[in-house]
Amino acid sequence: MTAHFKITRRLLESIRRDLERPHPFAYERVGFISAGLSSAEEDLWVLARSYRAVADDDYLRDPSVGAMMGPEAIRKALQWAMSEGVAIFHVHTHGGHGHPGFSGLDLREQAKFVPNFFQIAPQCPHGALVLSANSAHGHIWLDGDKPYKPITRFVEVGAPLNTWSTHEPL
Amino acid sequence: MSRFDRQSFLGADSETKLCAGTIGLVGLGGGGSQIVQQTGHLGIGGYVLVDPDFIEETNTNRLIGGTLADVEAAVTKVAIAERLLRGLQKQPRIVPVQDTWHNATGELKRCDIIVGAVDSFKERDQIERFARRHLIPYIDIGMDVHDLGGQKYLVGGQVILSMPGKACLRCCGLITEERLAMEANKYGAAGSRPQVVWSNGVLASTAVGLIAQLLTPWYLETIEFVYLDYDGNRGTLIPDDRMELLRDRTCPHHPSEEAGDPLFDVREFNRRAATPVERADRPSTAPLTGLWRRLGATVAKVLGASNQ
Repeated sequence: MTAHFKITRRLLESIRRDLERPHPFAYERVGFISAGLSSAEEDLWVLARSYRAVADDDYLRDPSVGAMMGPEAIRKALQWAMSEGVAIFHVHTHGGHGHPGFSGLDLREQAKFVPNFFQIAPQCPHGALVLSANSAHGHIWLDGDKPYKPITRFVEVGAPLNTWSTHEPL
Repeated sequence: MSRFDRQSFLGADSETKLCAGTIGLVGLGGGGSQIVQQTGHLGIGGYVLVDPDFIEETNTNRLIGGTLADVEAAVTKVAIAERLLRGLQKQPRIVPVQDTWHNATGELKRCDIIVGAVDSFKERDQIERFARRHLIPYIDIGMDVHDLGGQKYLVGGQVILSMPGKACLRCCGLITEERLAMEANKYGAAGSRPQVVWSNGVLASTAVGLIAQLLTPWYLETIEFVYLDYDGNRGTLIPDDRMELLRDRTCPHHPSEEAGDPLFDVREFNRRAATPVERADRPSTAPLTGLWRRLGATVAKVLGASNQ
């Protein structure tokens, strides 16, 4: 299975701008991307549609981590998935340039909350992305009961096109 | 020296990027065949070639790569395109589809760019909608000869780059409900639309330039909506006024919420993945020869004419 993530440059740049805004107490900002899907044989395309930032009030104070979402943030994202029948991808940025990677904390946290999306939107895959200033990396769950798979290829749709492949072993 | 040294200004890694690119070409007639030829020279590595037709004698005034022998042998346009590409590249990745594009959507989803060189507004509208749903840039070319009366004609055409999120063919007025209705009402009218090789060449070459810009940018200014008007009488290809007016427009006809397949279900995707079926590669086309195949082409032509 080859998972492709496609997003317009306009949307990706707006996401980066939002995630770079300072927060009153969290070191990082987080948000969610909704996406449509398509497939052909073993290829799966995640087609980004829109982005919603986690509201300032929906963060929990936890100085030991970059950002901690509260239950209301997750509830809103679950509601979004259910009401629109969309795939949901958690997103945050590590800044810098080059190919980013998830931290150990990122991996633990996403393993906890991403599978929950299958309880209310089981027809869609869900996942998580981490951005840098010029790249992205991501995981996709095709089933809430099975481990994630890496997103193999990213396409930033604009003029010019920008494509890159994952560095994570398949 | 390598064969691409003369185009090294396209960027240090342009050869790699072009080779890695895959373009979908819907329509391999006068305009599409020129694009095939030029992208083959340019070094683009991947192709999804889509056209259901065989070459006919009336195509030979403009179908690049097509020969009189191909007409005699009832060769498909897809086979001609593939032959042309294999003469220009050692290992092109070619998926030939001798069918309508509706039956090639799986292959087209894998394209970085889709180019439409088709005759009808309805097809343009539908191909663009498909491209938008899959966040694929779409380039449209087309020409027409307008009878001005008194033995005078105007050769016109357009080249349009339709990027996801940006102005589309409906935004710029090429596709309208009125035009679609008029086209539908003309169904059954006899006669072929005038087409000439040099106008196709202007439009196709410009489209190839846009493809190059999308895959390997070679100048700083990025333009995400392109609408060029071709005036064959004056020999000009200039930006339409709407190109500037619509530059920052967010397309209302193809909202982002329409991205994707509305019927997609990952559970079904998982079920299919769990029971893999051997993928039947579309065979590389071979020139059709023989009396029976020629007869088949004639029958197909007659049936096509009787359906109009």
